[in-house]
Amino acid sequence: MKIIQKTMFLLFIAISVNAQDLASFEKKTTVKKLDNGLTVIVMERHDAPVFSYVTLVNAGSAQEITGYSGLAHMFEHMAFKGSDRVGTKDWEKERTALAKVELAYAAYDRARRAETGRDEAKTRELEKSWRDAMADADKYVVNNEFSTIVDRAGGVEMNAGTAEDMTIYNFSMPSNRFELWAWLESERFLRPVFREFYKERDVVMEERRMRTESNPFGRLIEQFLTTSFVAHPYGVPGIGWPSDLQTFSATDAEAFFRKYYVPSNMVIAIVGDVNAAEAMPIIEKYFGRLPKAPAPDPLRTVEPKQIAERTVTLKETSQPIYMEGYHRPAATHPDNAAFDVISMLLSSGRTSRLYKSLVRDKKIAAVAAGINGFPGSKYPNLFVFYAVPTPGHSAADVIESMRAEIERIKSEDVSDDELKSVKTRVKGGLLRQLDSNEGLAEQLASYQTLYGDWRELFREVDRIDKVTAADVRRVANETFLPTNRTVATIESTRPAAPKGGAK
Amino acid sequence: MKRRIVMATFVSLIAFASIAIAQVDDYRKIQTPSLHSIQIPQPKRIQLPNGMVIFLQEDHELPLIRGTANIRGGGRDEPAEKTGLVGILRQAWRTGGTATKTGDELDDFLESRSAFVETGADADSMSVNLNVLKGDFDAVFPIWVDLLRNPQFRQDKIDLAKTQANTSISRRNDDPGSILGREANKLGYGPGSIYARQTEYATIAAITRDDLLAFHKRFVYPNNIILGFVGDFDSAKLEKKLRGTFASWPKGPQAVKPAFVSNPAKPGLYFVSKEDVTQANIAMVHPGILRNNPDYYAVEVMNTIFSNVFSGRLMQRLRTQRGLTYGVGGGIGAGWDDPALFTVRMATKSGTTLESVAALKNEVAGLINTPFTPEEMSLAKEAILNAYVFTMDSRDKALSQQVLLEFYGFPPDYFAKFPAQIQKVTADDVTRVAKKYVHPEELAVLVVGNEKEFEKPLGTLGNVTTIDVTIPEPGAKPAASGSASAPAATAAPAPVASAEGLALAKKVLAFVGGKEKVDAMQTVRYTESRVLNTPQGEMNADVTTTVKAPDMVRQEMTLPMGTMTSVMTPNAAFAITPMGIQDLPSSARASASGEMKIDFFNVLRHVDDPKYSFAIVGTEKIGDVTTQILDVNADGAHAKWYVDPATGKVLRRARVAAGPAGGEIVTDFTEWKAFGGITFPTASTSTRGGEKFSQVKVTNVEVNPTVDAAVFEKPKS
Repeated sequence: MKIIQKTMFLLFIAISVNAQDLASFEKKTTVKKLDNGLTVIVMERHDAPVFSYVTLVNAGSAQEITGYSGLAHMFEHMAFKGSDRVGTKDWEKERTALAKVELAYAAYDRARRAETGRDEAKTRELEKSWRDAMADADKYVVNNEFSTIVDRAGGVEMNAGTAEDMTIYNFSMPSNRFELWAWLESERFLRPVFREFYKERDVVMEERRMRTESNPFGRLIEQFLTTSFVAHPYGVPGIGWPSDLQTFSATDAEAFFRKYYVPSNMVIAIVGDVNAAEAMPIIEKYFGRLPKAPAPDPLRTVEPKQIAERTVTLKETSQPIYMEGYHRPAATHPDNAAFDVISMLLSSGRTSRLYKSLVRDKKIAAVAAGINGFPGSKYPNLFVFYAVPTPGHSAADVIESMRAEIERIKSEDVSDDELKSVKTRVKGGLLRQLDSNEGLAEQLASYQTLYGDWRELFREVDRIDKVTAADVRRVANETFLPTNRTVATIESTRPAAPKGGAK
Repeated sequence: MKRRIVMATFVSLIAFASIAIAQVDDYRKIQTPSLHSIQIPQPKRIQLPNGMVIFLQEDHELPLIRGTANIRGGGRDEPAEKTGLVGILRQAWRTGGTATKTGDELDDFLESRSAFVETGADADSMSVNLNVLKGDFDAVFPIWVDLLRNPQFRQDKIDLAKTQANTSISRRNDDPGSILGREANKLGYGPGSIYARQTEYATIAAITRDDLLAFHKRFVYPNNIILGFVGDFDSAKLEKKLRGTFASWPKGPQAVKPAFVSNPAKPGLYFVSKEDVTQANIAMVHPGILRNNPDYYAVEVMNTIFSNVFSGRLMQRLRTQRGLTYGVGGGIGAGWDDPALFTVRMATKSGTTLESVAALKNEVAGLINTPFTPEEMSLAKEAILNAYVFTMDSRDKALSQQVLLEFYGFPPDYFAKFPAQIQKVTADDVTRVAKKYVHPEELAVLVVGNEKEFEKPLGTLGNVTTIDVTIPEPGAKPAASGSASAPAATAAPAPVASAEGLALAKKVLAFVGGKEKVDAMQTVRYTESRVLNTPQGEMNADVTTTVKAPDMVRQEMTLPMGTMTSVMTPNAAFAITPMGIQDLPSSARASASGEMKIDFFNVLRHVDDPKYSFAIVGTEKIGDVTTQILDVNADGAHAKWYVDPATGKVLRRARVAAGPAGGEIVTDFTEWKAFGGITFPTASTSTRGGEKFSQVKVTNVEVNPTVDAAVFEKPKS
């Protein structure tokens, strides 16, 4: 049992805000690594009798392999289905029924996807057997018992999210429910049961239809990512391809879970009215049960250097959108801070260069901004520029002005004033993240996972403070090259929308 | 070989499940200690003599200070023909800068300090906010004050805001959810409702800098403002600073809530075609309730049983059990000062659209015909009560709540009393409120999607009204407020004030007696006998009306059942009835104010007022006379006068009636007589919505009679 305690007074001097407040904040943080490898962070805030937590698993859609896209997110849905003690009327019978569902599905799936010697009648028969097996297993289900327990106890904002880099689970509870929380959260990762799996696949398909298929931004981003990445899984949509979503099984999801949901691959951050000395024994009791297991093999594929500009164009009845992305290194790279500075210079606030040029002065875009670290940041990723043209303007209209600003960053040193403003805003931004249990829990868990040390939340500000005009220029020149660029646009097939006669 | 793999799978599931580390008891055995009683302090409330209310909440956790000026007045106060005005105002308020600093200069000053002064607006309020590091408060505070009181609304930033607004308009049909929200709102409230009006290119184009200045001048007064400050300050010092800054600001006109008219669409099916989607979006709406309805607590419990994520009926049955949808929810909406809507929403793949419409309707009906089980009741109540701690879990929230309660006139302990009220709710209460407020037969059902891919045509469910959401081109008149579909191509242009229109108005003025005489008429008393056509049949009324320019009216109406007197002035609005003295609701005031503006002689007194404009919009034959139709805009109130161009005599007047019934009132003037040198209409018949409405005979008119001021004052009772 290792307890790592914090004494980071040095840090606060680096930040030009009231050091005393940050120090008192920071003194209330305790980190513990359990024997099984699980890292737990407790930060005390006793303003109100509530706490928030985040469980962050260091695995996301980037861990998926071909044929199994969407599995990480699918497991995330499964994590709400309960365990052998939560969500069932009779576990012994249900276990057998679920095993039969898997057998029936495997047979049906094989027949359905047979490339030669297909037997349609047999396939339909196998499908019926599978559906019957599911109906049978459903009899034992107590729907949504996990979330009902949380609701009844006064839990709020229960949610989960699967990103490329990680999967997170969170909710907030009244602080007298700490032990109940520990029971539920450890239970769901100790013995999850994949009940109602195939119905939930349908729910995820609906999610895909909503986020990706029926929304212009969703369609564009999917095309953009699949074009930007030719090898690395960042190019595969996290929600999954429809054929994969309609093929993978509960057995597949279980295999993903067993490989990646190991304690050494997980961080839990708890912020709120929790006393660390009282909480740690409870955490040990419940989460100590998670079996130690080998850390999963890290991802092998590295995106090869892009050597030619790529373009993808969607022709749609919706209005034009423009985006272009450039490959950049992972967040752990020493130049990360320079990228943060470039992002703020170009696209944060009304003093940003893209706003001033495209939005304010030329009025060719309603929004013009950059996204740094897309779609994830753990692996080499993209620095993205995008613009939403104003009526009567197309994507082609904004390119020139966009590129002009990019060229400026490459050819001119950024002024001292601009640099100073960015640094002040970064510090101010950090400060404003510190007054929410939920926000803090997520930040602590993220930094602990990405860097192995939650203190990097503060050190990152430090690194940004040291970025020079020369750094900015060098990084810009290395990155914003035509051969490193992928362009994705929506071209509207409607006649040019009128300029609105605004006067 | 295949069999072996399959067996291995089967075995692994069983093996996995029997790894026994179960030294931990069932969760039901876990003790729940009592909740720590950590109290978030309530903010301090201060009221200045000029009516400004201030709430202060210290919070020393971080060196930050946030403050908001919440101002009464918002989108619902816009004139319909300038829908979107408040959105433009909100943007240009900040970007347009102050007298001493342009918006761009403010950007540089603020952003270099990681400080924010921003504006907000919604249907009923506007706000100016500041968010600064403690050390910058003294430098930024004066900017916030200056921007609050003296925005310049520079034209270049108005143009920028209009470009932004037009961009939104051009994109509003790109996402199906956005179409669903807008059109459902129109169906639930009525398309012309203050909560459902739609911004168009034409309405944006019509907004001028003068409009923004006038709107600011109409609402931004201390008696319409609630300040809220939270952060790392000393309350006594900040109070002193705020008093010093604001105490000398004189009161202004009290903001009056505009009239709310509920005009929901006829029940039935409505459809918007959108082809570039793989999912249908479904909404079902009808009117809801007010927050101050004592049934609100039972409604909250019902809504929780219905729509809680994941444990509510909708999620359980339509998502978890049937896999039909990712997102489904809804319930009875309770508005703070106007009724909200009952709404349910769901999205499903195109091929299960009709199935989902049926399933959703079934769930709505289930609120009435499926009893609420003890399990449902206990879960919902416990969930609400146990989560109550989160409504008060920060100083910031405690401040926001007090500002909210103050804004809507609810008592400061309203939220504190919430748990006890929920505790009292029984299954019988929930059953009763479901029957009272949920009306499946009144639902307007809206589907947005690609009908070609539905399992069957939507028409197989019943008659379908197709809604055309084509965005009207700029220059087209916005869709008439009564209709849901308005083809842009044939729309008439909006009237433009013209010299000819003004000339005709002046001819009317000459006909009645001329500028000097009309200006000299400060008070007029009419004695009339009226025949009113009511649903109960014809009724005779004797009416005496006293109008004192510019803004006071007293009317005594004697009907068979008694005499009712109503008085409306800037300081009082009341009625004296056989039942006693009652204050008139703000909706009555609002419509009376419009009536006074459009009053015939008031308009004629203002022919030269830039806020009054006239345009000739057509001709119409009445009897033998080809009249010119004069469109009158009396500072936002509208009417059409049908004028004989030869004489200046008004033969007919048309006006859209205020109030819930709506409809156009058309009055034909059949007789004109002179009293005290001025010619008045002395006989008229009116129709409303095409039906007979009233006949009026004016038996006497007194010009400038002596009037006791007391007749406009509320009697002591």
